[in-house]
Amino acid sequence: MSIIADEKTRVIILGGVAGVNAAKRMGEFCHLVQKPFYVDAFVYPPDAGKTADIPVGSQIIPVPIYKTLEEATKNHPEANTALIYIGPNRAAQAALECMDNPNIKSISMITEGVPEKDAKLLIKKARETGKYLNGPSAIGIMSAGHCRLGVIGGEYNNLILSKLYRPGSFGVLTKSGGLSNEIMWIISQFADGITTAVGIGGDAYPVSDFTTYLEMFEKDRDTKAVVLVGEMGGNLEEAAAEWYGAKPRRIKLIGIVAGFCQEALPKGMKFGHAGAKEGAHGEGSARSKVNILRKAGAVVPETFGALGPAIKKVYEDLQAVGQAAKVEDVHPSELPQLPKKVEESLKAGEIMVEPLFKSTIADDRGDEPLYCGYPASELINEGYGIPHVIGLLWNKKLITKQEAETIKRVLMLSADHGPAVSGAFGTILAACAGIGMPQAVAAGMIMIGPRFGGAVTDAAIYFDYGLRNFPNDIAGFLAHMKKEVGPVPGIGHRVKSLKNPDKRVQELIRFVREQKMSLPHLEYALKVEAVTTTKKDNLILNVDGCMGCILLDLGFPPESLNGFFVLARTMGLIGHWIDQKRNNGRLIRVFNYLINYAVTPKRKVPPLSK
Amino acid sequence: MAKLLEGPAMGLFQKWGMRTPHHLVISNVEQIDTLASANPWMKECKMVAKAHEALGGRFKLGLVKVGLDLAGVKKASEEILGRSVEGMKMTQVIIAEMIEHAEEYYLAVKSVREGAEILMAKFGGIEVESNWDKIVRTSVTVGEKATDAQLEDCAKRAGFTGPMIKKMTAFAQSLFACYDSEDGQYIEINPLVADKKTGELVALDAVTMLDGDARFRHQDWNFNFAADFGRAYTPAEKEIMEIDSRVKGSVKFIEIPGGKVALLPAGGGASVFYSDAVVNLGGTIANYAEYSGDPPGWAVEALTERVCALPGIKHIIVGGAIANFTDVKVTFQGIIAGFRKAKDAGKLNGVKIWVRRGGPNEAVGLAAMRELKNEGFDIEVFDRYTPLTDIVNMALNKQAGERR
Repeated sequence: MSIIADEKTRVIILGGVAGVNAAKRMGEFCHLVQKPFYVDAFVYPPDAGKTADIPVGSQIIPVPIYKTLEEATKNHPEANTALIYIGPNRAAQAALECMDNPNIKSISMITEGVPEKDAKLLIKKARETGKYLNGPSAIGIMSAGHCRLGVIGGEYNNLILSKLYRPGSFGVLTKSGGLSNEIMWIISQFADGITTAVGIGGDAYPVSDFTTYLEMFEKDRDTKAVVLVGEMGGNLEEAAAEWYGAKPRRIKLIGIVAGFCQEALPKGMKFGHAGAKEGAHGEGSARSKVNILRKAGAVVPETFGALGPAIKKVYEDLQAVGQAAKVEDVHPSELPQLPKKVEESLKAGEIMVEPLFKSTIADDRGDEPLYCGYPASELINEGYGIPHVIGLLWNKKLITKQEAETIKRVLMLSADHGPAVSGAFGTILAACAGIGMPQAVAAGMIMIGPRFGGAVTDAAIYFDYGLRNFPNDIAGFLAHMKKEVGPVPGIGHRVKSLKNPDKRVQELIRFVREQKMSLPHLEYALKVEAVTTTKKDNLILNVDGCMGCILLDLGFPPESLNGFFVLARTMGLIGHWIDQKRNNGRLIRVFNYLINYAVTPKRKVPPLSK
Repeated sequence: MAKLLEGPAMGLFQKWGMRTPHHLVISNVEQIDTLASANPWMKECKMVAKAHEALGGRFKLGLVKVGLDLAGVKKASEEILGRSVEGMKMTQVIIAEMIEHAEEYYLAVKSVREGAEILMAKFGGIEVESNWDKIVRTSVTVGEKATDAQLEDCAKRAGFTGPMIKKMTAFAQSLFACYDSEDGQYIEINPLVADKKTGELVALDAVTMLDGDARFRHQDWNFNFAADFGRAYTPAEKEIMEIDSRVKGSVKFIEIPGGKVALLPAGGGASVFYSDAVVNLGGTIANYAEYSGDPPGWAVEALTERVCALPGIKHIIVGGAIANFTDVKVTFQGIIAGFRKAKDAGKLNGVKIWVRRGGPNEAVGLAAMRELKNEGFDIEVFDRYTPLTDIVNMALNKQAGERR
């Protein structure tokens, strides 16, 4: 068997992150010994009502979080053990509450830095209530093969290496958390492993002292020997020796005491745990503790290095009289392994995952983002600009300087068109309603479509169709469009006309022509315009059509082309949002006289029919 | 345990109704005249001037001057301030009124597991040490108060008679209230004297230890704690304490001049066994250090730099048990960074590094340490299969314990 923590242990953890981390370690232990998870609840007011999700094997177990201990024990009447992970200013109060709770029988207090007076009050309370409290500053309790309370034992692989998946014959008592782990390891190497290991805490006044646990071990028939790690200061080791020497004991006691270095230190200098304080008049030194333990019949090696062999000797003696546990070691490969995360399994080449989607333009898995393979910082350092990034991300091509200049101009001339157009008005309406920037800009963006700014792609597609199918037959193209599509996208403007030309279009055409670029789509569109304007003055090649043809001529795919307007106009929309913010623009409500209320006059509502 | 210097300790005594001599703490001599005009006792009484520092044996060091008038106080303060003793500069002087008295007594409260013990004696000063057995004691359970009857009985047993019984009882009540309310761990008044002029009991000198962990519930603790080992903290020690106070987990560092073996172990328990192992094999430790509770890498790095800067060291013991939750990879990255900085700064020449450790991410952490060999460090790295303190045996060239 074991002491304190066993198969009947069911736990409530008081505390936040540290408590959840401990629960995860406990989940790992459950997976190793293939037993059900025994953490029933958390008490942590800030997260009350939520659950903490603890992995156990490949399962995720949602553990409810409560506001009070009372609530937790009411909902989980089987819980009999509390683990305390809350700050030192509130930990003692929580421990008192635990001791007053009729369901909680034992408590492990992990909190460090609990004032000594509080610890002493807990000692008194434990005596009055007959409850058992481990700590403060304890690392927890490990009962091999049965139950783990807290993080004691460390990571999964150590549980396997130290054979904590099955009980042995040795009990362990230490003040130090790190040493409890070391001793469990030593016992697994030099003997048959542990029954239970308890970190009692390194403070001056651990609530349960060595003697409390020695009594428990004495009653636990499976524990044949106990390794006790003491240190200078206080008198807990002396009390343990007194207990051990008082009458013949069933368990063998092996002791080791830290603090001989004290003798070689400048007077008054001391260190180690808070409890490692030598009495003012020589009592409590490592040497006196060792002497007293030896006198009581304990095996006490000279140095820590000699501890392993001393344990081995005791184990061999136990074996000789048939006292040692009959243990079977399991080869690590036969023990349950901790389920790997997908990344780990992939790395190990054990699994293959069907990707969710494919991506071809950018990659930020390394030190910095790569745009089509080019590190962003190098592009910057080499003098490339935003149009080049657009070229890479939209068309996977590193464009020329000349092409970049064209794109820059396209973006500049579409950046804004005043507050009255659908996009800007949408953004302004939202901004004045107090909406945040991304949402207000999105409100303007939503307007981009067939009637506003969204004709670039369509224009390009149809001019391209015309160029392919009616290269020298504009009339044929227009007839086809009239019959199959309707108005030609990219042709026509509400205000601009031949007499009142769109300067943006003129400028752009002038620039690209000067560059001596091949512009088959643009030239074709201009031929179309020459015909349409003879029919109606305002059927000119508009900015959408002009941009679409030029960008197509630069080699951008048609589906990318609306992006130029979206990108350019985003600058304007952001500007309008900022503008309204600064103006402290009032909520906009449309005046009645701007609405044609073509409505039915007021009438009586008939009774609801059956 | 956290020790208080006399100034703040006397302030606490007064708060709890115990008389102390009039006193002032000064940091420059110019203050004295101004203070004297506001504090008539400085012109009326004989005074004592002491260096207000955490230094043992101040009298022998000439840092205590007695029987002074105002001019004498100024001269003494001038002599003390700015003096360097054992490498530390004296920055404060405490000036106190001298109380004329005939007899000296002893009164203390000591924390014990069950509560507190009150110690009383009708002798004081240097007589206490030699008459330790004659001190009378009475116990108080934690959460309870001492009764007057109990303290009167104690005073009688100590040999007090007549009105002194009531006076000692009242003073002991105040002392206990101070101890109990201020999270005291050990408060020793020695000597306690009866003022010849008024007959009132006055605490002349005291050792005051409070529980630093209780600071959170004492908003009025406006003082820093002093080193309690007879010397002040060194700058490096203070630096690490400052880091320790702000990080998760802990880093600790104490310098021990003259040692050859530097310690950089993990864990409050294992660190002492490493110190023991060095001393046991006849080595000398250059410091005590410890990191635990999964501290951040940068904190361990700072600690490493301090350890590497210890003068005259031949070995650094980077020891540790098998950690429960301290990440070996993260803390070792801190140590490695510290080593590299030290090496770049021209340190670690002729210093051999010994590593032994286990715990979360041990394989990665130890492998990174082993890599240091390729950077020219003189380093030996061992894992959990080498017993805890064997690296000390190897460093000091003694036979190691039995291997499995």
